Amino acid sequence: MVKQSTAEREGRLEGAIGRLLISGVILSLLLEVAGIVLFYLSNGNVAIAAGGLAFVRSETFFTFLSELFAGKGSEGWAIRFMSLGVAVLILTPYLRAVFSVVFFAARRNVKYFLMTLFVVIVLTISLLYH
Amino acid sequence: MLSLLIISIPVGFIGSLTGLGGASILIPIMVFFGIPVKVAIASAMVSVIATSSGSASAYVRERLANVKVAMYLEVFTSIGAIIGATITTFIPAVYLYFFFAAFLATSFLQVRGRRETAQGEGANRLSRRLELEGAYFDEAKQRSVAYVADRPVLGGLGMMVAGLAAGMLGIGAGAFKVTVQENILKLPPKVASATSNFIVGMTALAGTSVYLFSGLLNLTLMAPMAVGTTIGAVIGGRVLNRLSGGILRLLFYFVVSVLIAQMLYKGVVSW
Repeated sequence: MVKQSTAEREGRLEGAIGRLLISGVILSLLLEVAGIVLFYLSNGNVAIAAGGLAFVRSETFFTFLSELFAGKGSEGWAIRFMSLGVAVLILTPYLRAVFSVVFFAARRNVKYFLMTLFVVIVLTISLLYH
Repeated sequence: MLSLLIISIPVGFIGSLTGLGGASILIPIMVFFGIPVKVAIASAMVSVIATSSGSASAYVRERLANVKVAMYLEVFTSIGAIIGATITTFIPAVYLYFFFAAFLATSFLQVRGRRETAQGEGANRLSRRLELEGAYFDEAKQRSVAYVADRPVLGGLGMMVAGLAAGMLGIGAGAFKVTVQENILKLPPKVASATSNFIVGMTALAGTSVYLFSGLLNLTLMAPMAVGTTIGAVIGGRVLNRLSGGILRLLFYFVVSVLIAQMLYKGVVSW
């Protein structure tokens, strides 16, 4: 009885993770497509940009996000949409990791709570300090 | 961008059929067209998140991927990927051609797990303590198959190497991860490939977290690549079961040989 409910709950985690991943990917790909279309509308071509704005260069992921919303690079909506797509794509597995930490904490599974927490901390540090 | 998008669809398709992944094929192609290798690597790494998360979601819902095994192994791959990506931002680009070719060559050495996993047998105490076990319903056998992972420490180290290569080269290194899971952890092949897909997304995120701030990530490269390879991979996943193993093997050897030749040539001329 107990075993079955464990499997059931893990099944719920898997279902939620599956939905999270697919929605994140679809949303980000739509943003990328929108970015490409906007790029064509504003530049009249879809050539690969060799420099400047096309390159992402921010201090941290959060400055990347805030610059995006503050309108830095608003001269290019296309680039903003593409950046937003990247942000969504990055957040998809990141949220999956955070979500797993919460799940295992609620289940009081200390081993997996620590393991997933470790991954989240490593990722967060890497997103913040590069 | 349009031509890159159009190229990316068949590349994603072939990448998914051969298990190489779209990025491993696209990076040499981009290098061929004169895109700097580091820029190609950084931009491809982002598209790997899309391709793998897209296909992982299906496997997770079918309960083929083992989420716990994945989370245990991610501890190793994410550290490996961050170190690998950091190395790439520092070292001279010319080395990367040779590393890329060498890593592609390792995919020839794959010994596909032929043996059935011995259930319960050789089941490491540590594995049980780490809850690295599970069961899945095998469609072909019409029964549930239970398994326990073997040698979790060695498997973790193997995954660290996989993560290092993935981060350094901007690829998913999925085939290598499957090899580690089948041959060291002794997981059933279907579970290994499904779980690998799941881990690749997290590894790519770790690598991307480094490239995002390196000034190497070109959005106009990344956008068409992510869209194209994901579409191609989805189509590939659908026809995979309908193709014969012989054709796939031939395709695999052909593609890997061409890619290795291209990267070696590029490495030699830019030495």
